[in-house]
Amino acid sequence: MKWLTWENIAVDRMACAWLIRHYIDPKAEFLFVPSGSKDWPKDATPFDIPGTKLSHHRGHCTFSTLLREYKLKDAMLQRIAEIVDEADIVHDITVEPVAPGLDFICRGIRQTSTDDHEALERGLLIYDALYAQLKVTPH
Amino acid sequence: MSDAIRYWLLLHYKLPAQPSASRVYIWRKLKRLGAVLWLDAVWVLPDTPHTREQFQWLSAEIIELKGEATTWLAHSLSPEQEAQLMRQFTDQVDATYQKLMAQLKKRNPDLAAVSRQYQQTKQADYFQSALGRQVREQLVSRRGDKQS
Repeated sequence: MKWLTWENIAVDRMACAWLIRHYIDPKAEFLFVPSGSKDWPKDATPFDIPGTKLSHHRGHCTFSTLLREYKLKDAMLQRIAEIVDEADIVHDITVEPVAPGLDFICRGIRQTSTDDHEALERGLLIYDALYAQLKVTPH
Repeated sequence: MSDAIRYWLLLHYKLPAQPSASRVYIWRKLKRLGAVLWLDAVWVLPDTPHTREQFQWLSAEIIELKGEATTWLAHSLSPEQEAQLMRQFTDQVDATYQKLMAQLKKRNPDLAAVSRQYQQTKQADYFQSALGRQVREQLVSRRGDKQS
């Protein structure tokens, strides 16, 4: 399946790509269009684009929306959703110490990658690491 | 850096009068982001990929709450206006930093609470306030002397 999002991916989209690859569509192919674009091939599923189904809803990130839409119930994924929510969206009350660091690192990954494809691949490692560490030390 | 053209993001929005909770919700998010309400008319942030994304999502949320929102990328035609705007960003964080400084001067300040507030404020400190650095130095230097 083709998955499509705007360029310059960061914390939420890297998390989404990781989720799609591991839990939704192992053969996922990712496409990127310029930020603001509303024009894309019909056979691609848009995600994390404002106004589309798989995006933010009621102050929650796209990663949360994917969990809901694809009925993924893994408790650890729910934990990641809570962290990504806080990393990606501004909140006046914060309860996730990991979130600001995760956001910062993901922005840095995009900075050091030549394009979004590379950033996405590198981001997979970050979320493998987050998942593994949450399993060892529930945080 | 100072010679480069600076870009700013502008957000202009309108929400239904009711429910007032939605209005407070959006306003609190803007404050948390450290956006400046310029001349009571438009919310401003310095343009970065991060702030751009935040304004985009905030607009999406406003629309979800049955409001209207437009976002703009702008640069000022007047260096003085721009300097004034930057000062307003710094004044905004400095107001909090000053309160934290005052707390730190007390006999038994709640250092954990001050450090949490410092970290929150730092995220909206777009132009690296000197006062913020002082708060930080105070906090770091007091890490070991809680008992004294």
